[in-house]
Amino acid sequence: MRRLFLTILCVGLAAPAGAMDYKAPVERIISDYIRPATADFSAASKKLPAAATDICLEPDGQAVASFQSAYSQTIEAFARVHFLRFGPLLDQDRVSRLAFMPDTRGIAMRQIRKVFVDKDASVLSTESLEKKSVAVQGLTALQLIAFDKTGALTLGQASDTKEFVCGYALAISENVAEIAAGLDQDWTDEAGYSALLLSAGPDNHRFRSEREALETIFNALSTGLIVARDQNLLPVLGSSEKKAKPKRIPFSRSGNGILFLSSELKGLEQALNRMQLKAMVAFEHEWLFDTAGFEFKNAQNMLAQLEAPIRQTFSDNNSYSKLAVLAITLQSLRKLVSPEIAGALGLTGGFNALDGD
Amino acid sequence: MRSTVIKGTAFSRRCFLSALGSLMATPVLANSPLAENLFASSLSSDTPLFASAYKAENGSYGIGILDDLGQLLARISLPGRGHGVAIAPDKSRFVAFARRPGTFAIVVRPFVSADPEVIASEHGRHFYGHGCFSADGKLLYAVENDFMAARGMIGVYDMSGPRTRRIGEFETHGTGPHDILLSSDGKMLVVANGGIETHPDKGREKLNLDTMVPSVVYLDCVSGDLLASHKLDRSLHKLSLRHMALDAQGRAWVGGQYQGDGTETPPLVAVMSRDEAPVFTSFPENATAGLQNYIGSVTANADGSIIATSAPRGGKTLFWKADAGDYLGYQPVPDGCGVASIDQASFLISDGNGGLSYVSNPEDPAEILARTPGISWDNHMVSLI
Repeated sequence: MRRLFLTILCVGLAAPAGAMDYKAPVERIISDYIRPATADFSAASKKLPAAATDICLEPDGQAVASFQSAYSQTIEAFARVHFLRFGPLLDQDRVSRLAFMPDTRGIAMRQIRKVFVDKDASVLSTESLEKKSVAVQGLTALQLIAFDKTGALTLGQASDTKEFVCGYALAISENVAEIAAGLDQDWTDEAGYSALLLSAGPDNHRFRSEREALETIFNALSTGLIVARDQNLLPVLGSSEKKAKPKRIPFSRSGNGILFLSSELKGLEQALNRMQLKAMVAFEHEWLFDTAGFEFKNAQNMLAQLEAPIRQTFSDNNSYSKLAVLAITLQSLRKLVSPEIAGALGLTGGFNALDGD
Repeated sequence: MRSTVIKGTAFSRRCFLSALGSLMATPVLANSPLAENLFASSLSSDTPLFASAYKAENGSYGIGILDDLGQLLARISLPGRGHGVAIAPDKSRFVAFARRPGTFAIVVRPFVSADPEVIASEHGRHFYGHGCFSADGKLLYAVENDFMAARGMIGVYDMSGPRTRRIGEFETHGTGPHDILLSSDGKMLVVANGGIETHPDKGREKLNLDTMVPSVVYLDCVSGDLLASHKLDRSLHKLSLRHMALDAQGRAWVGGQYQGDGTETPPLVAVMSRDEAPVFTSFPENATAGLQNYIGSVTANADGSIIATSAPRGGKTLFWKADAGDYLGYQPVPDGCGVASIDQASFLISDGNGGLSYVSNPEDPAEILARTPGISWDNHMVSLI
């Protein structure tokens, strides 16, 4: 009898997808992840303009340290929001203007060189900079002009171009702070994109159902995992250790490569956790979340064993094989998230795979 | 690559883009910060360009024009979800078709008109997503559905004047025609009849899976006469033949989508010509895993010596040596479907997550060149110039 009862209980728990409350996790990710993360990003980037001004006025030890710290904190906070590629982060091309990635063919460097050759004064104010190529106006451009190839922070150091570089760096800093503030505001706005996500239904032109709203968010997180591995890590590994390219780690020029990778994974993990999806799936699928937690932990452990700045330490320390293990971990995480967890929640993903022709 | 001369004007990629830029109805990167530099200097006159249908995050649809670095240079909005793009042989214009069972196609003539022309399908017909031009560029052939009779049709359109006119139609001698190509000699149409019956009243529902008979037919492009029809063995009648590319020898490489039991692993890629029956390529064990019997698009490299077949459900694009049919390997690209040839040695692969990957050697990892924010690239990408 007891066994029979348990069986019935299990069947009862395997609720049909139709019965799921798809709105609650959307509410939770907005209030418990997206809003705090975009507020953090705005707060961190707000310190950049003053730090850029200070280092340009007097590049002493303190100013150097505080610019390093302001830049790193901005990268860390950016890594936790850059995968939220829907709504406010897409408006006004914000995500590309904040960071032009990937840039495997060096488009940004080419365009910045031209800016320098032309002594293009339009990069010296936010108003004109924001109208220029996305590749020259964000955090990736700031890294290229403030740090040299060896990772040294050169912003503010005496040189023929100091004044121009300083003006340009300040304009980028203000531009980034402005974009981040706009992003934060748009997510905070109760009547803005959040309202669109939370009012899914037949009258909502964008989200016809609550499931569709959750799918948009969930698919962005699953794409975030693809980006973390296929875009941010695999190019580093190449086809063999001999062909490894540690320079391909985002923000590694400024010594923030490991910080960026670990922050983006922390962000993805938190974003998933704060939706509290585990409580929504049938008992037999709960293990997926435990395994995902375990894999996220493995990924962080692997990253913790690497030493910053990774470009300089890459050849020691067995970094290649650690990153190779990380790539395997991220591959299994991606599969856990989609199709496994997505499937357990009755969500569909994959634009071309879904309903092809 | 050489430039084509049109009406005495040197026809370059930059001309093409500036011409596109004049389409006021479709603000081409009007607010994009990337435009300035790309138009001004980075875009050399021999930069290859590509076109693909997309869905934007806000739910709108369009055609994107991309360069070989995967940068989005222009967007043309569409009234609904698009699918294939047909390009005139002189590259002066192209036609983007609605995804089935859509009823619109848009003709873009950047050198002639500022507004794209919208063509509506004939009463009792809808488009099937693909089309191709005649060798002289004067005619457009569009695959269509005569849905009352469940009969595959090719609508013939006169493109020589300022407005498009439908001047006739042929039967495809099958159901659910999908991809269509002009043969290498310019005299025949090669049509993949997917075999699946649909009716617009029932959306995309498949109405005849048990009795479907896919085929690839060769038709005289002037008279519409049936010159050859290749049907599959009875055991493979559920393999919907859908997308094609011609190799260096003019043979059609055809990718299928199997509608039968998911546990079966039928062959998915066949090679044929007018006079040669379909021969299936053999997939190595490790390549078939996870493909879910689904090939999304088929593309040849510039000289037709290598064929790429994408399998978006498996997240893989597989490569074949065209002459002998040997399997060369695969590239993992999650949700990758659109494949365009960049040159003899490389392909650009687009995916549903906005990614554009460069593949030159199946041994090396694909290089992600760009990830267009908020864009899901749809099934097909074509080389524009």
